[in-house]
Amino acid sequence: MAETKGGRPVAASQRPTGGDKAIAAKKQYFRRKKVCRFCVEKIDDINYKDVKLLGAFISERGKITPRRITGVCAPHQRRLSEAIKQARNIALLPFAAKL
Amino acid sequence: MRVYEELFIVRPDATDEEIDPLLDQLAGVIKASGGNVEKTEKWGVRRLAYRVQKRNEGNYILLQFSSGPETVREIERRLRVSDLVLKFITVRIDEKLKRIEKRKKAREERAARRPAPQASAPATPVLPAEPAAPMPGAPEPRE
Repeated sequence: MAETKGGRPVAASQRPTGGDKAIAAKKQYFRRKKVCRFCVEKIDDINYKDVKLLGAFISERGKITPRRITGVCAPHQRRLSEAIKQARNIALLPFAAKL
Repeated sequence: MRVYEELFIVRPDATDEEIDPLLDQLAGVIKASGGNVEKTEKWGVRRLAYRVQKRNEGNYILLQFSSGPETVREIERRLRVSDLVLKFITVRIDEKLKRIEKRKKAREERAARRPAPQASAPATPVLPAEPAAPMPGAPEPRE
């Protein structure tokens, strides 16, 4: 009982603030356009051995970051995911990292 | 003839005296079949991203060679048999190299062509093309 009571007000209080923010965002907030890093920096070779580069595109958990977040273009994301999977295979990158 | 890249992990406690015969053996297999070893790189002991055969570290060795597909089977068999080797990966890279070469060429051509018609912006198209050639990311830092 206490939990549901505690749970509801939180959800209720979050919703209106979230809504306010969304409205405010619609009105004034301008989202920066994401650009594909590989296109901009002209990186031709997305290599599985380049842990430093690939590491920038995986989450803390070791998951591949979706394109909608990183802004990588589709052809490059394809190469990237392939390279990450190869790197995982040879223990350069984790399949699943502990938090 | 295809170009392959063999990256394998050797036990971290293996000494050079143990590793070198293995490398010689692999080179022998490649040469015997008419291939050629193009590059061998020892990356040294690195941390593994996950435990492999109860080890957290591994000695990475990269072998680049050109040969036919049958040789790869033999190389992989030998790596599998060797108890020094924890893990290996074979990647065929000739097509990838070709593609990169092509893109690089196309880019250079474009950069060379652009400054001619546009006198106002000759420096900008040339400049970004130049630093892109050595590639900030890729295999360089490893070497």
